[in-house]
Amino acid sequence: MWQWFLTLGAPRNFYTLSGRYMPWLAGITVVLLGIGLVWGLALTPPDYQMGENYRIAYIHVPMATLAMGCYAMMACFSAGYLIWKIKIADMIAKSCAPIGASVTAVALVTGSLWGIPTWGTWWIWDARLTSTLIMLFLYGGIIALRGAFDSIDSGARACAVLSLVGVVNLPIIKYSVDWWNTLHQGASNLSLSDRAANPPEVWLPAFFVGFGILGFFLIALILRTRNEILVRERRSQWVKDLINGSGQEEVNNA
Amino acid sequence: MPEFQFQSFSEFLAMGGHALYVWASYAFFAAVIAFNLIQPAMAKRKIIRQHKALLRREAARLENQEN
Repeated sequence: MWQWFLTLGAPRNFYTLSGRYMPWLAGITVVLLGIGLVWGLALTPPDYQMGENYRIAYIHVPMATLAMGCYAMMACFSAGYLIWKIKIADMIAKSCAPIGASVTAVALVTGSLWGIPTWGTWWIWDARLTSTLIMLFLYGGIIALRGAFDSIDSGARACAVLSLVGVVNLPIIKYSVDWWNTLHQGASNLSLSDRAANPPEVWLPAFFVGFGILGFFLIALILRTRNEILVRERRSQWVKDLINGSGQEEVNNA
Repeated sequence: MPEFQFQSFSEFLAMGGHALYVWASYAFFAAVIAFNLIQPAMAKRKIIRQHKALLRREAARLENQEN
């Protein structure tokens, strides 16, 4: 297992293996998202208070979860880069930032669109919303910081440190609804009972969407990381071969 | 078994009067998903084009040195 990870850590192996499994990942993702979105939009009964409007939850909740998960992942790879100087860890961390920023934006915008009819406002400076906005700024700051360095290594180190400092925000987002009296609701209790507030017919579609969105995230992350590998390894022979016709199939398929 | 929760397709589109909020949310979601897939795909084509040009220039330089 460990050996397998080490093999994958070599940029060339990452590039080859990710290209091989990409069609499978894409297929599973499309199926999961298709089932989950149709189910959540059309087949799940409306909420007894919010009516049809709560269907926004099926994208708002998984995207907000992914926004935090993506940050945690970026921080882990940043730590991996700082401690062990693994090149690919930095490439993955760099790829996380723009995806995380856009996913956070979706969580905020869908939350606002949900808030207009249910709360009567699209924005309020409550702890959950404010800490999530700070996460968006952290992502933006990390992207900007990377662009401010000419040297790849200096930029990587600075971004890794900033990513790790920003981790402090994650528990604040997670527990903001418990620690403060927020307008944002707390975590929902999911229950297997049919008579519970959230029976399986409500949260099961969210599971499909959630795993589908996870698949999307992995695809987007792999695509960006592969580009990063091509740029940083352009001096190595295997990339030259890949570009120069001999690996023409690879280039076309990927 | 889950059933279609709306009387008609137009009612489905209306989302009980919340069409604007629900569909705007899903549209923005779809746009961000598409952006995150299309942008790296376009970047990759650009990277390969630039690499190819670079390799061609290097090959031409080598040929000049040999002559």
